[in-house]
Amino acid sequence: MKALIVKNLRKSYGETEVLKGINLEVEEGEIFALLGPNGAGKTTFIRILTEGLAYDSGEILVFGRPLSKETATLIGYCPQESIAYENLTVRENLEFYADLYNAPKERVDEVIREFNLPPDKRAGKLSGGQMKRLNLATAILHEPKILVLDEPSAGLDVPSRRELWKLILGFRDEGKTVVMATHYMEEAERLADRVAIISDGRVVAVGSVEELKKLAGGESVIHVEGILRGAESIPGAIVKGNALRLRTPNPREELPRLIEALLKRGSEIRLVKVEEPTLEDVFVKLTGRSLE
Amino acid sequence: MNVRAIKGILRKDLIEIRREKTTVFWIIVFPMIWLLIMGGIWGHTSPPVTLKVGVVAQGSGAAPIVSAMGNVTLDGRHLFRVIEFKSERSALKNLSSGKLDAVVVFPATFSENLSRGLPVEVVVYYNRADPQEYQIAKGVIEGFFSGFSRELAERREGVLIETLERFLPENTTSRLIPLIEGTARPLSLEEKNVSGRNISPVLFFLAGVMGIQFLFATMSLIGNGTLREIEKGTLRRIAASPTTAWDFLIGKLLSTTVVIFGSILGLIAFSQLVFGSTIFPSLLGWVLLLIGGAFSMGLGLAIAMLTRNVRATSLTINLVSWPMMFLAGIAVPPSTLPNWARPFVDYFPLGRALKDFRLLEIYHVSPSQVAPDVPWLLAASLAVLILAALTYARTVRTLE
Repeated sequence: MKALIVKNLRKSYGETEVLKGINLEVEEGEIFALLGPNGAGKTTFIRILTEGLAYDSGEILVFGRPLSKETATLIGYCPQESIAYENLTVRENLEFYADLYNAPKERVDEVIREFNLPPDKRAGKLSGGQMKRLNLATAILHEPKILVLDEPSAGLDVPSRRELWKLILGFRDEGKTVVMATHYMEEAERLADRVAIISDGRVVAVGSVEELKKLAGGESVIHVEGILRGAESIPGAIVKGNALRLRTPNPREELPRLIEALLKRGSEIRLVKVEEPTLEDVFVKLTGRSLE
Repeated sequence: MNVRAIKGILRKDLIEIRREKTTVFWIIVFPMIWLLIMGGIWGHTSPPVTLKVGVVAQGSGAAPIVSAMGNVTLDGRHLFRVIEFKSERSALKNLSSGKLDAVVVFPATFSENLSRGLPVEVVVYYNRADPQEYQIAKGVIEGFFSGFSRELAERREGVLIETLERFLPENTTSRLIPLIEGTARPLSLEEKNVSGRNISPVLFFLAGVMGIQFLFATMSLIGNGTLREIEKGTLRRIAASPTTAWDFLIGKLLSTTVVIFGSILGLIAFSQLVFGSTIFPSLLGWVLLLIGGAFSMGLGLAIAMLTRNVRATSLTINLVSWPMMFLAGIAVPPSTLPNWARPFVDYFPLGRALKDFRLLEIYHVSPSQVAPDVPWLLAASLAVLILAALTYARTVRTLE
């Protein structure tokens, strides 16, 4: 059964159309990522799905039922920002959210164990990683069938991020569905079974990571790091800080030309490698824009 | 309605408030300090004051009464500190510069007219810079001269009756005496004490502090409490649950009510403990307080939802509450207000509810005298609450 069906969803803020007809289908039991840069419309979509934000037109079905307060029990929501009350302990926060969802009281102890949370610590004193885990714990207290995450690893350090990913994968392994919005390519690549690339309020491509990479046309990517001077002027090159990426169908021929061009411009090259295209490369190819 | 969610919101709010020390101070401790100050200053019968009175005696015959003024005492305290002046001009100069409370000018004919039984005109000037002190000085000086005048009348009456009895037949005298007494003393007042419950002035201020709680703490708790949830994003998170925005509002109203009424109970106990007198409200008294609370919550929420900003809400609540604290007779006796301010006492629902509460619980009027106000006060409070709920609903709908 489809966990989520979205048909031609549109939403405007005043004159600005933020969602321009989103169409999606999410299978039960998969991790489905919405990948796009900030401002693409991901958070608006998530808020419509979870917070009841009004939309202009379209249809959303959750396990075949129209989106409503009744379907709210099927969805667990973990927003980007912290929603914990800082003066309340972890346990008190969880008890509060258990009350809101009418979840069994025993679930509070279960999730405290499951997420390795300090029950008597005030939420205001939690580390970033603990706070994120608490956010996630409030989302799964009532054992929802779909977990919706908005930028789950934003602001987390690498170990906390890895820990969080493990929890998300564990949720999928229980047969639950995960819908997550992210602008971290690595997060989408590591976690998602399927990815929808969103740009400017539209879904520009949907598929598994492998399928999407094929959209890059079987091109490879030449990755160069170093002190790059004048690299922006090389046709097709995407420069971010000390790194350059160039998509090409023929790296053997392109690589010497690129190195020569960089050296001529006075660059100091430290690392050169030829890679498979990433989701970001796909995104750039499809939209002509960077994910950042 | 999700009862468990409402209970959860109530519980969460109570824990949060208990742990916020500044909130506890403003809601629990500050009203007690306020009551301590107001009750300590005005909550008891004031001792008699000593007035500084300048005396100008234009002849020598006023010396005995001037001396009497200097000696008159009440509760062991001199009522007048008499300063004699040679000229009216220099006495009035001292009065204008605030060194005197009043100036009494005795005419040159004072003694002569008194002894001949003719009327005497004494001129009094008052310092009117402080209206309250002016009232006190006027009352004390008029009281003194009224007593002096009565004493004089009684002496003249005695002399007259004695003369009549000597020269007129007894049956004529017996008919004239009551007429003479009535002429000398057309009206006599006798002060007696009321038996039964004593009314402590502190109770007025206890009710006043309850009103202040409604004006500031209640409005601020509901208004800023709701706004903080909006600004922090927790209201949006709550909206993502099966709990509705209305469940949230009910929970918020309940938690505010519990906190404010807890604070009022604390004040009631504090007053008993410190001043030895307090108000134990009757059922109708509690109804009036609930109406006051509902009105304040409605007003506070409406202000918050219209301003949609914590700082602007605090400012607006202060702008409304400070004037109303005085104009609606909440912190000061309505009798001290000018006529133009009286409508606030009678028609500002919180002011009226508190006025009725005082009449009922302090001055023990019959509930039937207060009850007719309850329907319109209730209607006004509900109307404000509904307006607040509508502004809240609009805000929740447009949360972007």
